[in-house]
Amino acid sequence: MKTEALKELLFRLADDELIIGHRNTEWTGHGPILEADIAFSSMGQDELGHAQVYYSLLHDLGEADPDHLAFLREAAAFRCAQLVELPKGDWAFSVARQFMYDAAESVRLTALSKSSYAPLAQAARKFAGEEKYHFMHGKTWIKQLGQATAESRARLQAALNQVYPYALGLFETTEMEGAIATEGLQKPEAELKQDWLALITPILQEAGLRVSVPDAAPLEGGRKGQHTEHLTALLNDMQLVFRGDPEATW
Amino acid sequence: MSDTQWELYEVFHQKARGEHHVHVGAVHAPDPEMALVLAKEQYARRMACVNLWVVRASDLHASEYADSDMFDHATDKSYREAYGYKVVKKVRKGQAEEGKAGAR
Repeated sequence: MKTEALKELLFRLADDELIIGHRNTEWTGHGPILEADIAFSSMGQDELGHAQVYYSLLHDLGEADPDHLAFLREAAAFRCAQLVELPKGDWAFSVARQFMYDAAESVRLTALSKSSYAPLAQAARKFAGEEKYHFMHGKTWIKQLGQATAESRARLQAALNQVYPYALGLFETTEMEGAIATEGLQKPEAELKQDWLALITPILQEAGLRVSVPDAAPLEGGRKGQHTEHLTALLNDMQLVFRGDPEATW
Repeated sequence: MSDTQWELYEVFHQKARGEHHVHVGAVHAPDPEMALVLAKEQYARRMACVNLWVVRASDLHASEYADSDMFDHATDKSYREAYGYKVVKKVRKGQAEEGKAGAR
């Protein structure tokens, strides 16, 4: 039971990172300004690196190697939240998502650094520095766009409204939730959600924004393999080259 | 806002505590906070770094290139250089060792 719970948790972590990393690197060459473009793409690379570490932990538990896990699974086998699959949208959307996602990752990594599974705790502690920067980046952009002009604030608020129900989906639970918590792998998703809200609410308020519709229904399904059509399109793109010749060496 | 270009900030990078901050380039940003955030990925994603400074380029005061002749020496002033001192060998040796330590 413990191993199954651990594997599910690792697949969620790895798939979230792989897909958000891929989405964020889509800004390469398209950011609003060169500096912003490079920073966003570089953070995307960080997330891909984290995904590789999580997939390696899965490999240690008997799963296929990281490349096969990333490039040969179908959408239904992915356990990422739907939030990360959505197209990158405009800059406001990507900033809203990056802020909410990385705030969630911050509280999650803090919890995971105390995980009963030592290799996971160790990985979480190793990612803390990069994650600190990601969160700082998101926070700075929220503050900036929230206070720059009426248009930037309105567009960012609209993006936050759109992102929020999907962001709640990051804390979706499955029938493994009990085992994950009682085995000490990670504290309950409900508690992480509270930590997350406590982290983002004052930052949004200070920027003249708000957590829209606080009682919005979470958009879930991702943790159970139910995804939007955007994930299939993304995988077709991302997996194309590898699937062309899975045995090729680079 | 008529000019959509952000202000220019000069970036200074510090490799290790106690070292000088070294000018490495510039970023465009709307304020110092964003300049630091953007400078991190432009200038500290490869090199080791413990600290960054950003300074609004318009806050720098520079001499005129037209006046660069004022830096020329009309007569031999090599006595101002410290190379003649007896400790120089010791200093050079220390620097070499430090360099090796830094390369590790």
